[in-house]
Amino acid sequence: MRAIANRSKWLFALIGLFLFGLCILGYRFFTNAEGWTGMKYNKHLFESGTLVSGGKILDREGVPLAYNEDGARRFNDDRAIRMSTLHTIGDLEGYISTGIHARYKSVLTGYSYIDGLYNTVANGSGNDITLTISAELCATAYRALDGRKGVVGVYNYRTGEVLCCTSAPSFDTRNRPSEQEVKENDSYEGVYIDRFVSGEYVPGSIFKIVTAAAAIDNIPDIYSQTFECDGEYNIGEGIVKCNGVHGKISFEKALSHSCNCAFAQIAEQLGNQKLQEEAEKLGFNDSSAAGGNYLNFTGNKIDLSKAKKLDLGWAGIGQYTTKVNPCRYLTLVGAIANGGASPKPYVVSKITTSSGIKVFSQKTKLMDEYMSGETASKLKKMLRFDVEDVYGDWSFPNLEMCGKTGTAEVGGDKRPHAWFVGFSQREDLPLAVVVIIENGGSGSGNAIPVANRVMQEAKKLYEN
Amino acid sequence: MKKNRYFFLMLLVTLFQAICLFEIILKLEATDLRYPAIAFGGYILLEWIYFIIHRGIMRSQSFEVELIGFFLSGIGLAITVSVYPEKSIIQLAAILLGFAGYLVLLWILKDVERCMKLRYIAAVGSVGLLGLTLMLAKFTNGAKNWLYFGGMSIQPSELVKVAFVFVGAATLEKLQSTRSLTRYIVFAVACIGCLFLMYDFGTALIFFFTFIVISFLRSGDIRTIVFICVIAALGAVLILMFKPYVASRFSSYMHIWEDVEGGGFQQTRTLTYAVSGGLFGLGLGNGELRNIFAATEDLVFGVVSEEFGLIIAFSIMLTYVGLLAYAIKNSKSVHSTFYSILSVSAAALLLFQAAVNVFGVSDLIPFTGVTLPFISRGGSSIMGCWMLLSFIKAVSFKEKGAATK
Repeated sequence: MRAIANRSKWLFALIGLFLFGLCILGYRFFTNAEGWTGMKYNKHLFESGTLVSGGKILDREGVPLAYNEDGARRFNDDRAIRMSTLHTIGDLEGYISTGIHARYKSVLTGYSYIDGLYNTVANGSGNDITLTISAELCATAYRALDGRKGVVGVYNYRTGEVLCCTSAPSFDTRNRPSEQEVKENDSYEGVYIDRFVSGEYVPGSIFKIVTAAAAIDNIPDIYSQTFECDGEYNIGEGIVKCNGVHGKISFEKALSHSCNCAFAQIAEQLGNQKLQEEAEKLGFNDSSAAGGNYLNFTGNKIDLSKAKKLDLGWAGIGQYTTKVNPCRYLTLVGAIANGGASPKPYVVSKITTSSGIKVFSQKTKLMDEYMSGETASKLKKMLRFDVEDVYGDWSFPNLEMCGKTGTAEVGGDKRPHAWFVGFSQREDLPLAVVVIIENGGSGSGNAIPVANRVMQEAKKLYEN
Repeated sequence: MKKNRYFFLMLLVTLFQAICLFEIILKLEATDLRYPAIAFGGYILLEWIYFIIHRGIMRSQSFEVELIGFFLSGIGLAITVSVYPEKSIIQLAAILLGFAGYLVLLWILKDVERCMKLRYIAAVGSVGLLGLTLMLAKFTNGAKNWLYFGGMSIQPSELVKVAFVFVGAATLEKLQSTRSLTRYIVFAVACIGCLFLMYDFGTALIFFFTFIVISFLRSGDIRTIVFICVIAALGAVLILMFKPYVASRFSSYMHIWEDVEGGGFQQTRTLTYAVSGGLFGLGLGNGELRNIFAATEDLVFGVVSEEFGLIIAFSIMLTYVGLLAYAIKNSKSVHSTFYSILSVSAAALLLFQAAVNVFGVSDLIPFTGVTLPFISRGGSSIMGCWMLLSFIKAVSFKEKGAATK
């Protein structure tokens, strides 16, 4: 009897093995549940492959951008709204991985680890997501781009809510281009990429904001210096060309006139290390701020470690290997407007169950401080001076804009990218804007009109 | 104190079953209400009559094993009634028959001498039944394991399972001679061979596992056990090599997500719907897995997860563990090795079968399509389970000739 009892204790090993298997099973359930429930054969959510229980995606005013009707997923009826918000809300096929449909799939289907799909099954629909963007504003921005590739982004630099983010090229979900077309037709180049959060561009002259910030922080007498510009600056190894002949020019005038000679000299005074350090303080080479329930943008990238003297001169005017992301750069001008730190940009303002219970509400969260309040206010003055001195307030009626244009050379025989970054300094209109038009020509001639048109439309949202 | 505890637990089990009935009735058309009401009414009545006789009149102490049986069978009944209201009565009848078998076996087991005599009949009957199945049965879903009598169908392997444990424990009790061991091996090979020829690999595996457990408990000879396992593994490899059809049955193993409309169809549906229920389930009748083929049999773990929730589904798994732990714990105080071996191997069989079912359907191991003890729909299966339960219960026989005092 004892022997049998002792031998039977070996069967505890079987129990152990069984419990181990249960643990693996539990772990697999936990880690895969979201993906498993999202399978297209899941009849709780899909009917012949179409999401039928997904919640609505609404703009800031409650305009439906995507919703379910008669067993099918539908997008807004207005073509311009569909085109301009495509990348933000994403396609149903999942090609646009940064869109709401992909990133918030389990929210839309109403899945939770605790309740599974209980709420979805009980209410017939998952959670609704309200966005911060304005459909009308996005459509305006899309029209302003007028078929050109590029990005328009507007956000509130006090709260972080993104009012407009449009990426072109886009496509109409009602008339999706075939794989063949996307591959062969150049007008669809990078169509699945949301350029606002994922695009990486040569900054050109908008980078002079970074160089200027470095000068303010590192060169004590920068405001009393004057720079000589005769159309080009000889560094020894080569020359940096300017966009004009500015003669004797001050620091502030150098920024407003975007004098390459002056900024090459400033970069030279700073040296590789100081400029690199300042850029990193301003959030370059950092991707920690993105993600979660905030926008998941790519970082700005700079590496001056191998830059020779001439390279440094070009780097000071944004024409080296440096790359910037429109959304990330928007936070840089936003930080200037907001006294040194920008809120994290976001597009999801709240999530409610289909029965109207709020389950998530976005909160403003500041990113790490980019600069001191003093530096911010000095830069703000300079950016305001740019508009007053060169672009003209008539370009931005009633906006009290501050900003900087850029005309980024992209090499070859291609036209340069046209940039504008800036913000309104009006207390009642705390909005910053970024515009880039790929191969659009000069920043002042092409990006400024788009920025103005979008900001005028955005202003209306703050006037009611 | 203890008595009150079991009374309280029985109340909980009954309450659970009453809620199930309520949920089923909510989902059904008014005309169909009769069958669920009869099935659950009859079942709850059975539970309480037994409880009152057992605890009140016979003043027995242990009630763990029956409680688990009642709880699990109740969940199985609820799912069957909910998915196939018209089959409510058949399922209840199967439980009643199984329970009758349970009582009869308990009576038989009380006399060890009687068991020794019966073992020949059981052995010959088992091999005969399996042989008959092999000759008469036609392939149903890839295996030849069903016999049809008029309108009735039985799965002989489920009943032979009971005899297999019984014969094993009884044969080895009598004589620890080479002859008795050889006889048991011949018997085991005959049974497992028949199952292989029926292509019922899941059940064959369960028989083989049971054979190993019984042999080990009896002999304690690890080397021989390892030797047998190696031989069996070689045999399995040979079969897979020479019978490509067999190997193809398992080709989707670990690749179910690459073939969701083919070989991975049932497993992927089970997993998706199992997690769709979350921790607390969608409620009885609100699931989608029930519409998939074999949902109430092979895939029933997914149905339980989806409709009752993962907490209950995993708790059910723990009840099988509880049965084996109970058998092991009590095996040292029982007066006959026959009872210890009978009880431990029956509990190990149920646990192993649950593992083959649940881990198979969730792709941790190859999917072979065996039933989940007590929960899966099917008369033969539920009867077999209740009879095995009487073996586990036998470990509580404290003195010769006296049960559960």
